[in-house]
Amino acid sequence: MDTVKVKRESKNKIKVDFERAPLKERLKQKFLSMHFLKKVAYVIFRTVLLIGITFIILYPYIKKILSSIMSISDIKDATVVLISKNPTFDQYWYILTQNGYLKAVFTTFMVSFSVALIQTLVCALVAYGLAKFKFKGNGIIFIFVIVTLMVPQEALKDSMNDFFRQFTMFEKTLNPLSFVFAKLQEWFGIFENGAGFTNSLIPLFTLSIFGLGFKNGLFIFMLRQFFKGVPDELEESAFVDGSSTLRTFFSIIIPISIPMLVTVFIFAFSWQWTDDFYTSLFIEAENPAFTFMSHIVRTPEAISDMLRGELETIRNSYTAIIAGTATILIALPLIIAYVFLQRKIVEGVERSGIVG
Amino acid sequence: MKNPTEKQTQISLKSSEVVSEEQKVYLLKPTVVKPKPAKEAVVEQPIKEEEKVNADSTVKTFGEGISSSATTVGDNYVPLRRKRKGLSLQGKKALSGWLFCLPFIIGIIFIYLPMIIKSVEVSFYGSMGNYDYFSFDAYRYVFFQDGMFTQTILDAMGDLVLQIPAIVIFSLFMAVILNQKMTGRTFFRAVFFLPVILSTGIIDFVDARYAMAEMTESGGIDDNTGASADGGMISALDVEALLANVNLKIGEFSLSEMVTSLINSIFKIVSRSGVQMLIFLSGLQSISPSIYESCQMEGATAWETFWKITLPMISPMILVNAVYTVVDMFTAADNRVMMGLLGYGGQLNPDKFPGNFSAAIWLYILMVMVVIIVVALLMKTVVFYQRRD
Repeated sequence: MDTVKVKRESKNKIKVDFERAPLKERLKQKFLSMHFLKKVAYVIFRTVLLIGITFIILYPYIKKILSSIMSISDIKDATVVLISKNPTFDQYWYILTQNGYLKAVFTTFMVSFSVALIQTLVCALVAYGLAKFKFKGNGIIFIFVIVTLMVPQEALKDSMNDFFRQFTMFEKTLNPLSFVFAKLQEWFGIFENGAGFTNSLIPLFTLSIFGLGFKNGLFIFMLRQFFKGVPDELEESAFVDGSSTLRTFFSIIIPISIPMLVTVFIFAFSWQWTDDFYTSLFIEAENPAFTFMSHIVRTPEAISDMLRGELETIRNSYTAIIAGTATILIALPLIIAYVFLQRKIVEGVERSGIVG
Repeated sequence: MKNPTEKQTQISLKSSEVVSEEQKVYLLKPTVVKPKPAKEAVVEQPIKEEEKVNADSTVKTFGEGISSSATTVGDNYVPLRRKRKGLSLQGKKALSGWLFCLPFIIGIIFIYLPMIIKSVEVSFYGSMGNYDYFSFDAYRYVFFQDGMFTQTILDAMGDLVLQIPAIVIFSLFMAVILNQKMTGRTFFRAVFFLPVILSTGIIDFVDARYAMAEMTESGGIDDNTGASADGGMISALDVEALLANVNLKIGEFSLSEMVTSLINSIFKIVSRSGVQMLIFLSGLQSISPSIYESCQMEGATAWETFWKITLPMISPMILVNAVYTVVDMFTAADNRVMMGLLGYGGQLNPDKFPGNFSAAIWLYILMVMVVIIVVALLMKTVVFYQRRD
């Protein structure tokens, strides 16, 4: 090793000088090889593909945003395709002031937050029970989880109506829940006798508490797979230390599965935020106490007055723009939250190691 | 342990050779164990007369699952049959499993099953107002009198047969790409999962409604509510020109039409593959990097590694995703069958007979289940499970 010359030596660093090929040769070796060219070609291909698909995904949103600032004169003008000539924020202003947007944001946030919290917790409990305990009926319960995932909610719309609003189902069957509801009525006077839960959030919360909310089957499934990946040793050592299963769940399992729980929470929150099935079923649109996001998608009266004299095509286009603007306003808080939390979503699912 | 006085007598029975219960307790737990009232029913086993005396003397002090298996009379050990007080460890675990699942079980038994039974029951109502009559009128109507059901289901099946594999393949492909290290990965991932959050509920509904309205009139401003890519980017004629008028036919469907319908539904495919992509990503993350390392050492190319390692390792996820996609696509509110079914109206729609809706939707769900079982069985033959120990 005569060629190696020690230039400088310290306690944990050593800098040596040794003979190597000249820079030009080295660069040639590195950049003019087939391997490098292939790599470059692949990176270009990948980037183009990703940007293209990003464009496909974002294009409708861009278009929606651009058309939301169009005025009526832009609709009449055939040369206007995407960029408005007379931009206006009237649509936003009308929806903000006349459709009760801020009220809807507040109500929807409170309801979505609590519903998502309940759903996450209940689904985590059920999923933990299914993943970590062997008992008779485990398989059957899991099959039911899949069934709740498979049956579209629309199929049960009439039944839900019967169950929660008309109470006809309680008359026929001796359902213990009817006694619970009757007691609730007795104590708090939540609903009028025989009227069921009209304009009440009780049905929504009841469904969430029992893990039957929107796509809760998917949450249970995802969390079950996640908990299956959690090593048993954790629980065993907790058990040896004298921790009860419930305590193990809350002080060991929950903290280590925060990313996954955040993912489920975000799904539950945003699906409840944009929900129109349950809110339209249980809450009447004209009820001022509960204005939900789905209720703000309507044409404000000021605009329908303004449009009275116009052609029908113009009116339809403008109504569509109003609806599009409303959906932008609905999505806006979600997008803001998503920008901050999206890293958690990917992280949560990545760590889960879902195995079929 | 029933009460302290009993315990006193029990201890006095013991011989000096055996560590007394109190000592045992002391060895295992420094704190004095307080007697607990037995919660669970004691499983009595047939025990001989002589042993019964001893049986009573066995005291369970620590860990309900552990019971002393032998005790002594005088100087002789007399084997005693295991007598359980409370539950075994396994029984306890099973019980806590039940307790964890309790909310869902209650929900299923008292809310979900009654709702399903009610919904199915409605489909057997004879005619309007005649609610106790058991008949197949609704089914007969759906199948034979109303042309819509069978027609749309066949149409939709045709669409979905193309779209479902497209979604699974696309999401796998994108997951593989998004799993690589590159600049801007966070941004691309954020964009790709955006539809999962945004294309739902009321937003999806509004988009679908105005996209339809737009297609029918096509006046004024052409697209304004998104989902415009659905409106048709290319026509079948272009593709035929591209394929030099080859116009291949597979059965009834021409190849160019298939290609066109796929390209035109690209927005749908992309926006519906978010959850699948997440599931694939998690699957890719769970493949041990050492396998890839050893592949590299053996000189396998990236192409070979994908087919020989990634694909088999991720095949369980393909099964999960195939099933999920089938469920998701068939039950999406914007698919044509669901739209048609909702047109039947339900009980909430007073001028239509509710039985028709129930009958149609349950037939549809049954069909979806059959499709899922077929898909699952087909996939099962190619799924590779890594052996775990």
